[in-house]
Amino acid sequence: MSFTSLTFLVFLGVLVVLYYLVPRKFQWVLLLLASYAFYLWGGGKTVVYLLITTCTTYLAGRLLGALNSRLKALPAEERKARKPAFDRKKKQVVLAACLLNFGLLYILKYWSFTAEVINNASGLHLPAPDLLMPLGVSFFTFQSISYVIDCYRGKYAPQENLGRYALFVSFFPQIIQGPIARYDQLGPQLLGEHKLSWDQLKYGIQLCMWGYFKKLVIAERIGVMVNAVFSDVWGYSGSIMAAAVLGYSIQLYCDFSGGIDITRGVGQMLGIEMAENFRRPLFALSLTEYWRRWHITLGAWMRDYVFYPIALSKGFRKLGSFARKHFGGVMGKIFATSMATFVVYFVIGIWHGANFRYIAYGFYNGGLITAGLLLEPTFVKLRERIPIRWDGKAWHFFQMARTSLIVFVGRYMTRAPRLLTALAMIRATVTDFQLQSLTDGTLLSFGLTAFDYWVVALGMVVVTAVEWYQEKGGHVRKWMEGRSAVVQWAMVMIPLLVIVLLGAVGQGYVAAEFIYAQF
Amino acid sequence: MQSKKWVFMFLGCLLSLPLLLMAVNYVVDPFGVFGHMTWYSFSETLNPRVAKTTYLKEHWQEYDSYLVGCSSTSSYPVEALNEYLDASFYNTISYGVDMKDAEETVRWLLDNCTVRNIVLNIYVDNGVTYDTGQDQLTLKLHEEVSGENPLTFYGGYLLADPNYAWDKLKDKAADTELSQPFDVFDEETGAYDKRARDVENIGDLDRYYEAYPVFTDYPVYPARMGEIETTMESVAAIRDMCEAAGVDLYVVCAPVYGEYLNTFTDEDLAAFYTALAEVTDYWDFTYSSVSWEPRYFYDSTHFRNAVGDMALARMFGDDSVYIPEDFGAYVTAENAADHVKTLTNRTGGLDDSGYTCEVPVLMYHHIAEEGDGGVTISAACFEEQMAALSEAGYTAVGLEDLYAYVEEGTPLPEKPILITFDDGYESNYTIAWPVLEKYDMQAVIFTIGVSVGKDTYKDTGTAITPHFSYEEAREMAESGVISIQSHTYDMHQSAQLDESPARTSAVPLKGESEEDYMAAFLSDMERSMSEILEGVGEPVTAMAYPNGDYTTLSQALCRELGLKATFTTEARTNVLVKGLPQCLYGMGRYNVEEISGEALLDLIEG
Repeated sequence: MSFTSLTFLVFLGVLVVLYYLVPRKFQWVLLLLASYAFYLWGGGKTVVYLLITTCTTYLAGRLLGALNSRLKALPAEERKARKPAFDRKKKQVVLAACLLNFGLLYILKYWSFTAEVINNASGLHLPAPDLLMPLGVSFFTFQSISYVIDCYRGKYAPQENLGRYALFVSFFPQIIQGPIARYDQLGPQLLGEHKLSWDQLKYGIQLCMWGYFKKLVIAERIGVMVNAVFSDVWGYSGSIMAAAVLGYSIQLYCDFSGGIDITRGVGQMLGIEMAENFRRPLFALSLTEYWRRWHITLGAWMRDYVFYPIALSKGFRKLGSFARKHFGGVMGKIFATSMATFVVYFVIGIWHGANFRYIAYGFYNGGLITAGLLLEPTFVKLRERIPIRWDGKAWHFFQMARTSLIVFVGRYMTRAPRLLTALAMIRATVTDFQLQSLTDGTLLSFGLTAFDYWVVALGMVVVTAVEWYQEKGGHVRKWMEGRSAVVQWAMVMIPLLVIVLLGAVGQGYVAAEFIYAQF
Repeated sequence: MQSKKWVFMFLGCLLSLPLLLMAVNYVVDPFGVFGHMTWYSFSETLNPRVAKTTYLKEHWQEYDSYLVGCSSTSSYPVEALNEYLDASFYNTISYGVDMKDAEETVRWLLDNCTVRNIVLNIYVDNGVTYDTGQDQLTLKLHEEVSGENPLTFYGGYLLADPNYAWDKLKDKAADTELSQPFDVFDEETGAYDKRARDVENIGDLDRYYEAYPVFTDYPVYPARMGEIETTMESVAAIRDMCEAAGVDLYVVCAPVYGEYLNTFTDEDLAAFYTALAEVTDYWDFTYSSVSWEPRYFYDSTHFRNAVGDMALARMFGDDSVYIPEDFGAYVTAENAADHVKTLTNRTGGLDDSGYTCEVPVLMYHHIAEEGDGGVTISAACFEEQMAALSEAGYTAVGLEDLYAYVEEGTPLPEKPILITFDDGYESNYTIAWPVLEKYDMQAVIFTIGVSVGKDTYKDTGTAITPHFSYEEAREMAESGVISIQSHTYDMHQSAQLDESPARTSAVPLKGESEEDYMAAFLSDMERSMSEILEGVGEPVTAMAYPNGDYTTLSQALCRELGLKATFTTEARTNVLVKGLPQCLYGMGRYNVEEISGEALLDLIEG
């Protein structure tokens, strides 16, 4: 069931009404039923994978919880003596859960790629069956593994009720594309009792409308052009390729952040506050900051479950002292951290999918950020020598533009069908730009009219204006509350008409799937 | 505003959207189901099944006979059927009609209209599809025809995508005389509006392949006929219904492009046509030499109206029309087995030597004692050119010869050529005519009506090259050598001598509305034609475009006026195809200047 289908809207409407009608202690049961209904509708048989992940991580959590409390129950001295043995056991449990779930993810998502690479290199004939990808597999796997690791760390006691835990893994608004939630943050809200709050309901509806606007009016519209160009990239000039990548950047942002807005809006309608996943990435001043504003929950997951474990591991500590001894200075201090950072961005790259272009994407981000870290001392020295206003608006704007450019180049890699294609396209953009092909009508041959391009452009103006206002600390919804009834009515009716007329109709309600669902 | 109030306002707005949509669809009525803002041609294009039913509910009294079938049904001209059967036909053609649609349509016609004849067209695809598209607004039948629940039927159209309504409003503003992709049907006949197609200059095969590349590399997607049984059940039902109602049923199998038949296996083809013969006798035009001639088709599965004319002539024994000998067979249960073999043992391919002919056309103007280096040539040169043609074995034929070749298949002499003169100069009478007589050649002179008999520009006193009078024209025409035709009445004005904006040719003036242009063109041509008829005594059947300028609309208007040929100034040799009258439209002509006889032969022989 796609968020943009009429079925989903009906489903949501019925659910919200029932949610506030049933006795509050059963609200979570209703959510669980709704979540599975939602998943079965779109995922069908692949629900098996969801069940496997749910059951295994549930068991791991219970085992870890039991070990933790058994250890805690021991007298202090014995506890100290037996701690290593307990830790070993706990590690085994975590390892088993990780191996099983990441192994499953690997087989589903990366095996055919691995087999192809091995077969090509060795002449072997490893089978690469075309497996049906479960909806949102990357998201629910990461989410439940975070739960297991948190249980291991003793951050909280495990959930004892399988059904309640299953709701945490399968909660429908976020299962397709995140945000990747933490149990301690989302769990209590899912299981708590919620009284109808008209404010929350209103905010939820407004956030959903904003999401639908970005997805339907902007992303799906420009997606037509992007697909047309990328389905046959050869033969276009560099400027058309650049336009397509720009279009894709717009499409990706509006589709993904729009989808997250709908997710969070639906959550709010149910009285559940979900983690933020985007914080206006356009305004990021550096690539590091960009990754703290784009797909925030993935970055945070990587920080907590990849970066820290690596950075604090024995091996890395050794690497750190080695670096301090041999490189000395700042370099020696930050070398180990930089390497861990590199690993994180490399993993983020691969997380997006099984393909050389994602590996390259990982190298690209990891490489740039690591290089930035390593060169930071040099920059600081340089900055002291050049007499410009380093905190001025012009410099900030330059930083924003620079970050956008870096991200833009990276988009070639995430959208082109192959890595070599992406590189060839980047080359064409630089060496064969041909500005005139932007005005000679080529752009009108991709299934979009001039009107459509205007809609996308104006849509982006609106999105950027709103985000700029938010960046300055403004609250759009609060601002609207102060307006007269007529204005408020218009601010409902006009967006509704825009979404329906420019977004929903004319495409026969063929619900376009989320771009991010394939990752 | 309190949040609670806001939420209810939101719900109110949300619910008002479908109501708004229904109101728009009801008033604008793009599919023509509610009878508002009627524009059948547009609605039929969206869904012919539904809109034609609505149309017939209002207009059934005007018809007594119906054509039923898929899109190829459109190419049997109702005008010919009306003549052969002394009837008033309406073509219910809808694209993609399967036999279930056909059966339900016939049932509805018999129940709701006066019906004397039904012509049921069966296409080879009918073996493949049956009972499809019932759930789509653009493909479903009218609820009265299909028996669908009226609530779901009208509800569906009330909630139709508003783009349809918007399109109707937008397209209405962009509507033109000739059809555009949004209004392809002719309201009155129900057939596709093929006025543009019927004046398309078709001749040379290479040019045709350029215009219709599909025929150069014909795609074949194999298909199996899984619906023979169901289709035949519906044909039988139609047969029984017509019999019970005392209605004459004509079953016709449409001509199919040769390569397209490779879509099907021989077993399927044999099974399909044998099964049909078991249900009813039928005229089969599926496969013949016509199937190999791409010029008789305009896309992968549709044949031209001219071929429909041939088929009807065969069915109704009209021998005034050219029909290839092997085109059409009457199939019965008795001869079906033998007949089917011609389909499964398909041999041969394109061989147009028997039904095409190259005809160069020469274009002259004024002839004087001395040539001017331009279009005026010297008398001596003209005579030399005629002598050269004669010696080279050319026969200068008349227009009637060309018509007879195309329409009836009457052979032309070995090297035919057509000689034409534009404007109607006195010198054509004094110099050219005697030379032509001497060499036993015919010619056509296209006169500008307003200049006939004049030696000053529209009596302004400004001298122009003298033009012959109607008396002289009649004299030439009566000799049988010269045919007087139209070069418009006054659409070849002089930009210098006439008031601005001068009509220097017969195409629309800059900024002129289509309506004004049509009125101007038609009244000008009608005047030209009636004055020539009166002055010369012979009807006008051809015209030459001043400056060679023309548009598809001007061509269609000429056809409406009953002209059989139009001439341009495009320098190319014409290829005439028997049975395709449009090859006489937009004919190319070589402009002949002061060149030797030999050079002339080089010019026309390339």
